[in-house]
Amino acid sequence: MSQVSIFYLFVVLAVFIAFVFLLVGRSTRQVRDVAYRAADRMRKVFFFTLTGILTVFLGITLPRMPYPAHGQLPDQVVHVVGKQFAFAISETPIETDEQWEEVSSFAPPVKVSAGRLVEFRVTSFDVNHGFSLYAPNGQLLAQTQAMPGYVNRLRMRLSERGRYTVLCLEFCGSAHHRMRGVFFVE
Amino acid sequence: MRPCLSHIGVILRIALSTAALLASPGAMAQIVGEKADSPPNEGRYLYKPVPDILVHSWPEEAVRLSELWRERPILLTLIFTRCAGVCSPLLRSLKAAIASIGGAGREYTLVVLSFDARDTPSDMAGLAEHLELSKDRAWIFGVASAEDIARLVRATGFWFEWEEASRQYDHPAMVIGIREGRIVRFLIGGTVSPVRVQEVVREMRGEFVPAYPLPRRNVLFRCFQYDPTSGRWRPDWGFLLLLIPGTMTILGTVWIFRRERKHRAWEDRESS
Amino acid sequence: MAERTVVSPVWLGMEQQRWRRLTSTWMMVMLLLFPILLLLGAFMRIVQANLLPTLLPEWFYAVMTLHGLGMVGTWFVGAMAAVSYILTQYVRPSRKVSWTALGATLLGVVLLLATTLVGRFGVGWYFLYPLPFYPAGIWPTWATWAFLFSLAILGVGWTIWAVDLLRAIAQHYSLRAALAWHYIRGETEPEIPPAVLITTVSLISALSGFLAAVIILVLSFLEWAGTGFTNDALLMKNLIFFFGHVLVNITMYLGVVLVYDVLPRYSGRPWKTNRIVAIAWNTVLFLVLFAYFHHLYMDFVQPQWMQVLGQVASYLISVPAAVVTIFSTLLLVYGASMRWTLSSLLMYLGVMGWAIGGVAAVIDSTIAVNLRFHNTLWVPAHFHTYYLMGVVLMLLGFAAHFGLEVSERPENGRLAKLIAALFVIGGYGFLSMFYVGGAHSVPRRYAVYPQEVMQGVDYARIALGFIAVLFLGVLLYLWETGRRCALAFRTSESS
Repeated sequence: MSQVSIFYLFVVLAVFIAFVFLLVGRSTRQVRDVAYRAADRMRKVFFFTLTGILTVFLGITLPRMPYPAHGQLPDQVVHVVGKQFAFAISETPIETDEQWEEVSSFAPPVKVSAGRLVEFRVTSFDVNHGFSLYAPNGQLLAQTQAMPGYVNRLRMRLSERGRYTVLCLEFCGSAHHRMRGVFFVE
Repeated sequence: MRPCLSHIGVILRIALSTAALLASPGAMAQIVGEKADSPPNEGRYLYKPVPDILVHSWPEEAVRLSELWRERPILLTLIFTRCAGVCSPLLRSLKAAIASIGGAGREYTLVVLSFDARDTPSDMAGLAEHLELSKDRAWIFGVASAEDIARLVRATGFWFEWEEASRQYDHPAMVIGIREGRIVRFLIGGTVSPVRVQEVVREMRGEFVPAYPLPRRNVLFRCFQYDPTSGRWRPDWGFLLLLIPGTMTILGTVWIFRRERKHRAWEDRESS
Repeated sequence: MAERTVVSPVWLGMEQQRWRRLTSTWMMVMLLLFPILLLLGAFMRIVQANLLPTLLPEWFYAVMTLHGLGMVGTWFVGAMAAVSYILTQYVRPSRKVSWTALGATLLGVVLLLATTLVGRFGVGWYFLYPLPFYPAGIWPTWATWAFLFSLAILGVGWTIWAVDLLRAIAQHYSLRAALAWHYIRGETEPEIPPAVLITTVSLISALSGFLAAVIILVLSFLEWAGTGFTNDALLMKNLIFFFGHVLVNITMYLGVVLVYDVLPRYSGRPWKTNRIVAIAWNTVLFLVLFAYFHHLYMDFVQPQWMQVLGQVASYLISVPAAVVTIFSTLLLVYGASMRWTLSSLLMYLGVMGWAIGGVAAVIDSTIAVNLRFHNTLWVPAHFHTYYLMGVVLMLLGFAAHFGLEVSERPENGRLAKLIAALFVIGGYGFLSMFYVGGAHSVPRRYAVYPQEVMQGVDYARIALGFIAVLFLGVLLYLWETGRRCALAFRTSESS
């Protein structure tokens, strides 16, 4: 489900809530007694409906977590290290500040094969950063935190070809908005 | 343990690369593989394909690696039978580790391959016998053509070099985890710990651990510690710190209410 | 004016005067900080709209830190002060402690102003470790010290305040009674006002949050004092989000206390504790400890059971809120002979904002969705919904009620409706741009939008128009209520 369709789902729910509040608000124009027994029945129905809907959604969404216990073998591994204020993205591991400097400033962008499973191994050399994948059309596809001391593994299959941008999605300081990385899917 | 892989110094590396620039390819025949990357850096080779070479074992059996990895993942190691150094301890500790974690032949196959062109399938069978593994069908001891070995070496970052002085090959000690024809993990070093093998086996089974820690010194309290035997993150001391706010609050609240209860009771008596 | 159950006759005379003076001071501090902090928020949108192209981005982030922490703190203390006042009907909190908390708050505010506006300390309101120690050449060391110190002052002041309120409750109720456990068993004696129950639940949560903050500060000082240790980033993240989540959450709950207590006075129907209310709030007390896990979904190193627990807890915690508080609010109002005043209007709208923000929050607490919504504008979208259009309206509703009560002057009904309309149009219009931004992948906390998310600039520009409408509403509100509170203060002083 794309972000925009989730947005529409939210708008529908929000408008519904506003409509209910409006209706109830307007009901005060004509004073009437509340049948408490009926209201309690209604509350019960509401309770079970809401719990039911939430349970269904839990059932649908929990299996779609980005950290499956089992997975296919990735075709390629890409190493990512965030540091104030750039991402170094490389096919070989980046272990030192010098390597980070070289990769983030001089190395040609990494190329990833379209439709193949890529594993991003993401970490940080200083503060927390947010590793994100922005598709060529500007849509945010996935993310994981770049955290000092840990490597997070994000597995993705990128089908659309073109230039992907990595923006920082965890506030990391004065040039947070300028922090980026680039790679290509071919 | 006398390490076959020795003197990995910067000076040597520089000397080697200079030599590589100056010398003709013929002069480099002594060393097979890229020693500069020693021991091989796993990250460079991860998920890269392994050549489908033909392994000859005794008596006159030949099997392609692909036939093996189609069945189950492979743990592959490269040695030579005349090795006076790391090979024997490596194999012994691998054997012990495998025995302790189990699953050999069912979950994975073990391939012990000689890179020494002088070794024959029967030499390898002798080695198997010596290790009391000749009857174990989970273990395959074999040799391959020099060409195939060279391909394998290129794909895995392994290397070996003849040293005239000791009349031995210098080479790294490593075990390579292969799943569906691709490299999953390396185990580097002459001693194989069961925990590490277990980790590789998990990885080869396709189990996915979405994160791992980097070695850091002097970390005060870690939240979780990765436990490779179970493949899970276990609470560490830091996790206790997470429990403190909740527990302390409950205790504190109970204390406040108890303290005031005396006060309440006293007030009641006073008013009556 | 509605009748009150007064604890003792002494309470009525001087004590009430003093409490009114105290509460009036708190409300005026709150109403003074609100428009300033709102303008700081508007400033951030102006920067994002590219209308100040020469401004250095560190100013944006310093202001962001001040706006965030300022707002979170202001509404927390406002809610605490309002709830203390409400609670004086039933228990006797200490005025001295409240004044001390006020002093600590003002001192903390001054320090915060210095660290951010002079020191350019920009780490965001939850100062995610280890960012305070990586200034990248922007803020000086004293700013980090002053920041941690101001947090310590605020923390100590607020903890004492929370403990004192809890003590006051404990003086009159046993813990079991205060948590209304006997209602769960089916008994209704002794009667526990919902305000006591919800405040108890909130304060217990608050204390656990403050304790987490203490641990964060101690660990930070330990690292900083040069012991050679580094902290585990994951542990710090857990502690920080536990603290942050709890602080924001209980501000909401304290706001709800006001609704439970004040709204019935305008609808003419009682709102009493019953079995279902008791069950709901005890469930909340339990679940609030786990919901914060949803801030760490993108930390794959956090064990999976915690992630799953986070989503389950976040989903379930919405049930008591919806089925009990929101449903009951509707029931309270439906067909009642309602007096629609500024206070009741804002409170009713506040509950609606809570419901709408809650839906957006539940959506974002879905792990699979969070993968694409985490740290986009969807996040400020949802928390601004249940802050600005939720707890802020509830508190403004309380302040209006309080002003009305102490000034004893009739209010202008038309003006009240106009203010409410401006709040709704300005507020939801402003929020819609955050939601649209989140749906279109625009990151949060960006001073300048890069090429890939340029659409963010347009959203910021549109938002500015709505902020102007909202600000007009706020000014009218301050004119109406601020005057009353001030007047009430003078009257109480002269009498």
